[in-house]
Amino acid sequence: MEEILTVRELTRVYGKGGGVTRALDGVSLSLQPGEYVAVMGPSGSGKTTLLNCISTIDRPTAGSIVIDGQELTRLRGRALAKFRRERLGFIFQDCNLLDTLTAFENIALALSIVHAPAGGIEKRVKDTAQLLGISDCLNKYPYQMSGGQQQRCAAARAIITKPALVLADEPTGALDSRSARMLLDRLEELNRDLGTTILMVTHDAFTASCCRRVVFLQDGQIFQELRRGEEDRRNFFQKIIQVVTRMGGEMADVL
Amino acid sequence: MFSKLAWRNVRRSFRDYGVYLLTLTFGVCLFYTFNSVEGQGAMVYLARNGNPMVEPILMLIDIFSVFVAVVLACLILYANRFLLRRRKRELGTYLLLGMSQGQVSRLLFLETGLVGLVSLVVGLGLGVVASQGLSAWTLSLFEVDVSGLLGLSFSLKAAGKTVVYFGLIFLLVMVFSGLEVSRAKLIDLIQGERKNEVLRQRSLTVAAVQFVLGAVCLGAAYAILLTVGMAIAVAVLPICIPMLALGTLGTLLIFRSLSGFVMKFVQNRPKLYFRNLNLFTLRQWLSKVHTTYLSQTVVCILLLLAIGITASCVGLNQTLENAANENTSFDITIQNQSADVAGTVDFDALLAEHGVSAEELEWQKDTIFYYNDPAVTGIEDARGAVKVSDLDELRLRAGLPAYSGVLPAVLDQEEIPLTGRLGMTCLVIPDEMAGELEVRRQVWSADYAGDKEQVEAKILAAVEEGQEDYSLFADSRLMRYSDIMGNKILALFLGLYLGFTFLLAAAAVLALQQLSQAADNAGRYAVLRRLGAEEKLVRRSATQQVALAFLLPLVLAVIHSAVGMKAANDLIATAGKVDSVGSSLAAAALLLAVYGGYFLATALACRRMASRG
Repeated sequence: MEEILTVRELTRVYGKGGGVTRALDGVSLSLQPGEYVAVMGPSGSGKTTLLNCISTIDRPTAGSIVIDGQELTRLRGRALAKFRRERLGFIFQDCNLLDTLTAFENIALALSIVHAPAGGIEKRVKDTAQLLGISDCLNKYPYQMSGGQQQRCAAARAIITKPALVLADEPTGALDSRSARMLLDRLEELNRDLGTTILMVTHDAFTASCCRRVVFLQDGQIFQELRRGEEDRRNFFQKIIQVVTRMGGEMADVL
Repeated sequence: MFSKLAWRNVRRSFRDYGVYLLTLTFGVCLFYTFNSVEGQGAMVYLARNGNPMVEPILMLIDIFSVFVAVVLACLILYANRFLLRRRKRELGTYLLLGMSQGQVSRLLFLETGLVGLVSLVVGLGLGVVASQGLSAWTLSLFEVDVSGLLGLSFSLKAAGKTVVYFGLIFLLVMVFSGLEVSRAKLIDLIQGERKNEVLRQRSLTVAAVQFVLGAVCLGAAYAILLTVGMAIAVAVLPICIPMLALGTLGTLLIFRSLSGFVMKFVQNRPKLYFRNLNLFTLRQWLSKVHTTYLSQTVVCILLLLAIGITASCVGLNQTLENAANENTSFDITIQNQSADVAGTVDFDALLAEHGVSAEELEWQKDTIFYYNDPAVTGIEDARGAVKVSDLDELRLRAGLPAYSGVLPAVLDQEEIPLTGRLGMTCLVIPDEMAGELEVRRQVWSADYAGDKEQVEAKILAAVEEGQEDYSLFADSRLMRYSDIMGNKILALFLGLYLGFTFLLAAAAVLALQQLSQAADNAGRYAVLRRLGAEEKLVRRSATQQVALAFLLPLVLAVIHSAVGMKAANDLIATAGKVDSVGSSLAAAALLLAVYGGYFLATALACRRMASRG
């Protein structure tokens, strides 16, 4: 099966001369369609830089990123924006809903931006909202919704354009555990039922344990990879904790 | 150290200060320009001719300057509060770092002083140029040669007055910012940016009812104005107050409900609603309604005043100019109304006595008007009579064809060329009939040769002496002209002064509001960009938001002023003919220049802020 994301020897260097920081130091990674992968690592390990490079917000110093057969490092300006809106979906930690728009409009806006035909927009928004369990708060403004509802709304916005890859940056970071659980359940359903490919960055072991595969980053390099296989979530969680413990004290905050 | 920080702050926040500085500079420039009219060519010309309007013009400018200063002070205070609110966090940081509130106040004090100083100097410089322009323009309205009056001048008095007035305003601003800082709590300053406007969804029916109610109120106000007429509607308080109240309420309701109304309208049209960023732009507009509908109403009324005043003053100007050209067939006409009792004046002798030589008069004509005697003429309803040969001589000189009707006959006033008015119905009679009639009035008309002003001065001196024995009335083109000019200049100066002030205030309020909102929107634009929205569309949305804010009050103000000008023109038309096209165009041009300038500057700044990311 053709890979949906291929990252090869990705390097990102910040600074010049003596004070150089290697945020990414030759990271290689690939995702098959329908995969659900978490990237874990302590702060400073380069996981956000990796996500920024993949999401075309940042440019790598060296290496290549291929998404859906398209070499990202060669794209510029308009083509880049076009690629971003048509092939990628984003979920941010601070959900980034527009506070002046209702939930419905926030989700519909993503379709407006890709110039989707106006006639089908309302139905598509309602179907997607149904999937994420936010049908009853479509007419609410972000400030009227709970954090979990907001984040599920952001998730709906991310997947409604049917992107090749959904990128999530600490999606549960600002949620209480119950809301986090609900969001993760929904993401898992999307992955399982619709085959949505998801790449998530997190430093929370519980969140990571919901994925099918976990990639550990440390000091800009891949430290280890774990696959969930047929294991249940609880055992997988234990394995993740073991790796985290081996990676050293920096990740003491994961629990 | 403080002055260094203050200087850096002003330079750093130049983008925020830009509109503030622009408005201050314009204000200073406007104030200086109109206060320096005393030394401007047109006024010098009027004063030299001893025009009685000079004093009232200067006095009115003085009075209105106080009013203008109050408007500008309110505007500047508003702008300053706006800037302070934007800088809450920065001020909070100063306090957090251990600066005392007194020190922060002093910092603001210095900054305001600095900004004030810069705008005063630049504004005065621009004012000198602008007053030169105004001088040249008003002089061009005089059709006499006054090129000698156009010289570069700097009015120390006007500059001093400007400095004093604006100094007071800046002092007021300093005191207010000091108060604001000393009252503020640190926690509010630090978290100042987190406070959000509470958004409320209002139902379609409420918006629709409000909209219809607003339209009804406006309709009622218009109906009152158009049926009772401008004069009564403004002067009679029991009519004036309800009319203004209805108009204001209507405007308020429309601004309050319009966005909700439009939103619902567009929501039912998915093709429009989901097109590009329309949905976002509309929501942005709707979300600001609660904070902006009041200011939009104020801006609309300011615009209405600006348009109305400018258009009426230009219209009045046209009317006066037309009046100036009526009944001025000759350079001078002197009427001897005591010819029946005191006898006729020997004008040749009287003028020669006062040094008016024959060469100084290009043409002169002494005409006798007789008492009408129905027994002789056979016509009852006329009080005077003139010989057909005399009439033809006058008509020939005035460029009219010779009289060709039957004799004797009643003449229209316009058929007897004069300068001034005869004030009686007159017959034209065959020359031989005159011998049987008694002399009633002697009318002497002349055209000058050479220096008109000198000749006229001598003639008027002669007339003054003749007054001792006869009842003489002189009316001349120059006198007419000078009178009319005085009125014209008064109408123009006051109209433009007030018009500009209101326009400036309206445009500046909108610009400040939009710029501040654009800064709040930076985060929203970043989200749009992250979602992959095209740069072009993001910038377009930013422009559309500014355009909505600028255009809506303008549209409503134009509708208001169209109705108002219809009523005003009806009033002015009773005094003379009105060239309403010309006056509307002049008002439109002025408006476009200032308002359009502010709109462009704001739209460009907002686009820049939107694309900065």
